[in-house]
Amino acid sequence: MAEKHNLKNPAVKRILQELKEMQSNPSDDYLSLPLEENIFEWQFAIRGPRDTEFEGGIYHGRIQLPSEYPFKPPSFMLLTPSGRFETQTKICLSISNHHPEHWQPSWSVRTALVALIAFMPTNPNGALGSLNYKKEDRRALAIKSREAPPKFGTPERQRLIDEIHEYMLSKSSPVPQLAPSQVSEEHSKTEEAEAEAQVNLHNPEALPAGVEIPDQAGDRVVEEQELPVNVNSNPAGVEASMDNSSSGSSNQLLQKSDARVQNLKPETRIQKSDDRLFTLAAIGLTIAIVVLLLKKFIKSTEYGAVFMDES
Amino acid sequence: MQSKEAVVEDGEIKSVTAVGSEIDGWTNFGDDDIMQQQYTIQAEEAKKVPFVGDKEPLSSLAAEYKLGSPILLEKIKVLDEQYAAIRRTRGDGNCFFRSFMFSYLEHIMECQDQAEIDRIQANVEKSRKALQTLGYADLTFEDFFALFLEQLESVIQGKETSISHEELVLRSRDQSISDYVVMFFRFVTSAEIQKRAEFFEPFILGLTNTTVEQFCKSSVEPMGEESDHMHITALSDALGIPIRVVYLDRSSCDTGGVSVNHHDFMPVAGDLPNASCSSEKNIPFITLLYRPGHYDILYTK
Repeated sequence: MAEKHNLKNPAVKRILQELKEMQSNPSDDYLSLPLEENIFEWQFAIRGPRDTEFEGGIYHGRIQLPSEYPFKPPSFMLLTPSGRFETQTKICLSISNHHPEHWQPSWSVRTALVALIAFMPTNPNGALGSLNYKKEDRRALAIKSREAPPKFGTPERQRLIDEIHEYMLSKSSPVPQLAPSQVSEEHSKTEEAEAEAQVNLHNPEALPAGVEIPDQAGDRVVEEQELPVNVNSNPAGVEASMDNSSSGSSNQLLQKSDARVQNLKPETRIQKSDDRLFTLAAIGLTIAIVVLLLKKFIKSTEYGAVFMDES
Repeated sequence: MQSKEAVVEDGEIKSVTAVGSEIDGWTNFGDDDIMQQQYTIQAEEAKKVPFVGDKEPLSSLAAEYKLGSPILLEKIKVLDEQYAAIRRTRGDGNCFFRSFMFSYLEHIMECQDQAEIDRIQANVEKSRKALQTLGYADLTFEDFFALFLEQLESVIQGKETSISHEELVLRSRDQSISDYVVMFFRFVTSAEIQKRAEFFEPFILGLTNTTVEQFCKSSVEPMGEESDHMHITALSDALGIPIRVVYLDRSSCDTGGVSVNHHDFMPVAGDLPNASCSSEKNIPFITLLYRPGHYDILYTK
């Protein structure tokens, strides 16, 4: 790769060094590679962070490095629906080109990807290109993200995306699934929330000022409105409308994920008797501590001391 | 004001700027838009001045303040007694580091002091080790260090890589070189502050109420962040180079006469540069003119 590029250009030199470093020290949590024809454009995939609703998901995206790299920050675009970031939209992060004042040349593509993974479970707070889907929707999208890589751009880009997807699948652990009991509970909650969302989506007047239904066309930068601090009217409805931007599509996603979930073995449940034992042990310990404290208190008071002498 | 991005099928992005009609006067003009416009204006203004300008007589400074404060004009007259010329630098937040860079390399070029280069290289090596100890990945700073050392070697004459003074000026104006050297100094400054955290911490807490590490990440390492006393002290100490900063401001003297204040940043380390070119060992050979928010290079008579 190096022969093709102008090594006198410091940005090119730096990018090639980063590539070499990433290849010599790969991670199971992410993979990023530049296009052969343009090393300023990288395709990447990150694994959804563990112990979150994104766990098990494989999220593809694209990084565009500026010609002034590493002095200017890269721009990020997610290609896989995640329920956290819009797809095919430049997203607003403190590490991205939306905030050049926060960028440091000591950061790299690797640190940016690590930061991106860390950003996933955080609250979007109305940032550009952010979404605030419900946990179960995000879980469903995480499962769906493994099925196939996203379709994007030229054949060269697509080839790279497919390669990265294969690598990520080969390194991945099985998707954590919900127990059937949890699924049914979550499903009923989802249906309730969807019913509320339907009301609000069909009746925009019910939404307080400043709150908009998120734009579904994810091919441009969308500015989300932050909820005004002193808005009181219908907060539950607002949440539902923000989370469920398209109830039809989320229904389909949930049905798909439910079908997959039901095929899996339920998790081993902790026996109720174990719970009772723990409770009894805790009560016993509490009583013992109280008795000891009382004894100590009686000893420490004069009356108690006299009483003890007499006995 | 936000430029909207539309993605075309082949994956290439084409920027579609919001049309003026979308903004009804100033009603939709938010804080972000104002900041964005401010950045744009600053960037446009900065481009009018090269990173490092030409050497000008000090009279050009007087011409700049012709209609300004009488105190400043008096102070410029006082400066004129000691200093012959000024070299301006671009006011982009990197002016201190750029002024220092050019002034130092120019000094080495004039003195042809190989011993000074050896001394600096040893100090640079200490900074490199400090960054590694602090957990910085080599690839994030190695290029900057290598490029500075390359420039340092090139000002010594009689080698294949040697450059002329004109070439030094051109290189200082070449963003791909100039910014890399500025970034090198930022890394050295950051390493020194973090290495001597207990010394710098009280000043940082008093100034910004952040930790030493946060201060370095937000106010030292990012390009375009303006320099303070702390930055100058740290850089001077790290490289063992004394720096004189002359202050041109509206402050008047209690005695009635006009005087120009200066402050000499003397390195704490004992290894000062040799007095091969400067008259005395402990007189700084780098003199910078400070006007609120900006540094330029001064040349003594």
